[in-house]
Amino acid sequence: MFKNYFKIIWRNMIRQKQFAFLNIVGLTLGITTCFIIGLYVYDEATYDTFHEKGDRIYRVNQPDIWGDWNNQYASSGPNLAVALRADAPEFEQVTRILDMGAKTVRKHTDGEENIIFKEEQYFAAEENFFEIFSFDFLQGDPKTALKDPTSIVITQETAERYFGDENPMQKPLQVRQTDGSWKTFTITGVLANVPTKSHLQFNILASLNSLAGKMKADGWLWVWTGFSTYGLVKEGVDITALTQKIQAIPPKWAAATAERIFNQSYEEFTAGNPWKLYLEPLADIYLSNSPGFHFFGPNGNPLYVKLFSAIGVLILVLCSINFMNLSTARSSKRAKEVGIRKVLGSERKRLITQFILESTLFVLVSTLLALLLTQLFLNGFNTIAEKELSLIAMFADPVFLVIILSFIVFLGVLAGSYPAFYLSGFRPIETLKGKLGAGFKGKRMRNGLVVFQFTISIALIICAFFVQKQLAFTSSMDLGLIKNNVLQIHNIEQLGTNDQVLKNKLESNAAFTHVGKSYGVPPNVWSGDRYKAFESENPAMNLSDFRTEGDYLEVLGVEFLAGRNFDPERKNDKYGVILNEEAVKILGWGPKETYASNSPIGKYVEMTNENEDKLEVLGVVKDFNFNSVKEKITPLVILHQHNDLVWNYGRGRTFLSARLNPEAVKNTRDIQILIDDIKEEMTQMDASILFEYSFMDQEFENTFRAEERMATVLNIFTLLALIIACLGLFGLAAFSAEQRIKELGIRKVLGAKASELALLFSSEFTKLILISVLLASSIAYFLVDEWLTNFAYRTSIDIWVFTLAALSAFVITILTVCFQTIRVAMANPVESLRTE
Amino acid sequence: MLLQLNNISKWVHSGGQKVFLLKDINFWVHEGDFITIMGPSGSGKSTLLNVIGMLDDFNEGAYTFLEEPVHQLKEKHRANLYKQYIGFVFQAYHLIDELTVRENLEMPLLYKKQSASERKALVADTLDRFNIVGKKDLFPAQLSGGQQQLVGVARALIASPKLILADEPTGNLNSKQGEEIMEIFKELNSQGVTIIQVTHSEKNAAYGSRIIKLLDGRIE
Repeated sequence: MFKNYFKIIWRNMIRQKQFAFLNIVGLTLGITTCFIIGLYVYDEATYDTFHEKGDRIYRVNQPDIWGDWNNQYASSGPNLAVALRADAPEFEQVTRILDMGAKTVRKHTDGEENIIFKEEQYFAAEENFFEIFSFDFLQGDPKTALKDPTSIVITQETAERYFGDENPMQKPLQVRQTDGSWKTFTITGVLANVPTKSHLQFNILASLNSLAGKMKADGWLWVWTGFSTYGLVKEGVDITALTQKIQAIPPKWAAATAERIFNQSYEEFTAGNPWKLYLEPLADIYLSNSPGFHFFGPNGNPLYVKLFSAIGVLILVLCSINFMNLSTARSSKRAKEVGIRKVLGSERKRLITQFILESTLFVLVSTLLALLLTQLFLNGFNTIAEKELSLIAMFADPVFLVIILSFIVFLGVLAGSYPAFYLSGFRPIETLKGKLGAGFKGKRMRNGLVVFQFTISIALIICAFFVQKQLAFTSSMDLGLIKNNVLQIHNIEQLGTNDQVLKNKLESNAAFTHVGKSYGVPPNVWSGDRYKAFESENPAMNLSDFRTEGDYLEVLGVEFLAGRNFDPERKNDKYGVILNEEAVKILGWGPKETYASNSPIGKYVEMTNENEDKLEVLGVVKDFNFNSVKEKITPLVILHQHNDLVWNYGRGRTFLSARLNPEAVKNTRDIQILIDDIKEEMTQMDASILFEYSFMDQEFENTFRAEERMATVLNIFTLLALIIACLGLFGLAAFSAEQRIKELGIRKVLGAKASELALLFSSEFTKLILISVLLASSIAYFLVDEWLTNFAYRTSIDIWVFTLAALSAFVITILTVCFQTIRVAMANPVESLRTE
Repeated sequence: MLLQLNNISKWVHSGGQKVFLLKDINFWVHEGDFITIMGPSGSGKSTLLNVIGMLDDFNEGAYTFLEEPVHQLKEKHRANLYKQYIGFVFQAYHLIDELTVRENLEMPLLYKKQSASERKALVADTLDRFNIVGKKDLFPAQLSGGQQQLVGVARALIASPKLILADEPTGNLNSKQGEEIMEIFKELNSQGVTIIQVTHSEKNAAYGSRIIKLLDGRIE
């Protein structure tokens, strides 16, 4: 029996090559997409699974005490760990790590050239760090590796960078301190490279004990939120109860900070907001997206994971629909076979089995091809999506094989069920008489499915369009500063007093129009402090700030609305501030229209430190985007670089920014020469300083990396969905041509012109596409509108995009069916009308 | 003279050999003729009818229709010619299943770009003339074979052709229905419409004024 089934399936495939080809190509593309998306989603969803005690590890989050207290904040103060150890015995271990910022590290041997790198992923960790997290030690003892204050643990890749083939154990590495001195650490452990699927990404872990002095002095500070705190709970602990219990910690422990630092009571500081502590399971961290200020590694985006999963499922549905459509479409051809089988005594059940077997075979062949294609395309996809997905590795997992097998059966049954029930339901006498109106019976269903396919494809096209439009919009919008042609030189703080020498050199260079120094540069201004208007009842607020001198504002080209820039001649300017419009507004001094009558110039901004120091407002600048344009412009206080009243959060990162003179610098070669010169200059001043530079416009672009990446991936999937839908449409057109050739022949005999026939034939499909366009437009409008709420500055949802998508859909439809259209329009009616 | 065929030949290549479908056909038709083409299966009857109807090409010879040299005409011109002067009736009726009787009748007029009011009047006339007013909103599948063929004939006539080409018009009908159709042909012929029919039936052939017998693509 089965042999017979296979024989018939095989012969059907051979005889109807076009049908088989369309089916297999469609299914293969769909399944490939599905596999790639599946691997992507699996990869995103299985971060941090390599830790042995992973199911008991929690990160302790707190509110964003620097902004909206309703938002979770992944960073906490140093004392949280101490408090948890003291007050919550449910924790077996509590550990904290501190982001040290970028550090310059060198291997220094007398008489040899230094090997020097800037280490961006350099953290300080407590000695029990490895008792919670399972990172593989290649050398060293996890228990003691971070005990000694001068101990340092590095990854294998890092070790190779400094030591090549040498054994790095117990060798010294020197780390540059903020004062310019070099501190020597000893390597006490070498780790296997940190797995990519870890939310903690580091190259170097220094012992937190190395900061013993600072910890002793500032360890009580709950506002030093540079730490992440992790706890390993004991077996069987009730997390809800534990969460409940630890809520008592902040009021008890943090009150002292509010009083000593801000001269406020705990209630005043929190302004009535609960200082909640959250226990976030390790497995949730990577994809949770919401806690801001996770410094220690990558964050996934749950939106994209959901979006891509949805696209994967949709594409699978699309290619199943293709299969159903093509199968029922050619049912008139199969009807006779069904009729004969039924007359010869086949039960309906057997027929269903046969058709489902057939579809499962198609799926099997396509799946095998899809596995090959996936392997083939995966590298390309990895490059685009910045992933390290691997298909081969999956085969080692028996679960994966079971999944693939069940996938084949599931899809086979899914795609085969409708045709199976449809075809097996034919009445034998009718089919044998050839009287079957088969084409028309299932026609409405098939049309519905095509409309569904194209609705999805067109909606994807529209969405992809708007994603591009939004990206183009943000990269071309007016930022309030001139981001182009600004060269930023990093690590200026390490030059010490030489920075002025370098600055003078740049200023005298005709290639630059302006040169300025600043602590922090747009779009990365992360520092801030608490400010209030002097003699105001309003409470203090967190405002962003950065430090600069007057000439940096000239480099940026920001516009002054009132007052003046910092003046290097006036000594007192160092206690002056320049505000942006938002800051003036939030301090209660009104919008720019009121400056004439009620000028903010000469008023004072008060700090919340012990002395309640006052800073005079010297000027107001027009709002400009000092962070990614994903966010609205927030209040900004521009401090003078020498202001010693405000604590310098700048982490010692100073930049020299220079605006290129387009007259003098005409091409990339000129720029390269210029950069090489500056590097030479800096090396002569101090060879130990790493020379790094960037361009401001590129930095702004980089803030949209994730979106750019998503856009590319979305474009690819859109294209695939479209191809699959077109394959289906092509098959359907071929079938329809077959069905209608007689009717069209009659029309031709009765005097229809070829052009009239072509129009008539293709209108059948363009009508469907019109419906799809209408449906897709509304769906896409909804989705785009939703997506755009993620952005502070949104591109407009223009009607022309929908029109363009509709037009392209029509063009694609007409092109897809044109082969059949031409065939039916040119056909000789004598052929089709011959009566046998 | 309505049309004239001189030395018409048509062939296909099969296995490297020329197989003649029509060979040296010489044939003429006057207006008002009622001609029957007879012959065994495969003798080329339908092919001849298609050539006359300008639906099919031929390889050799000359065909003159109303003084126009059909073999020299461009496709478009030829289409206009048959659209205007020729009506077709088929054995299998070839009505369009998705269109009602009225819409089927209207179709040839649509392709002749007649105005809506003209079409309406002509369709109403024709329905009346063939006594099928009551069936105008039915679909072909709801009619008997005889009724369907009646619609087929009505459709062929609606644009007032000079020539009707009928390929076994009664082949799918029972004898009573067949007779009715033949009576209609006879009456049309008496009104001056030229008819060329292909048939196997001696009885039907008797309605015509001239019989042409074909054998293996030649006129006997």
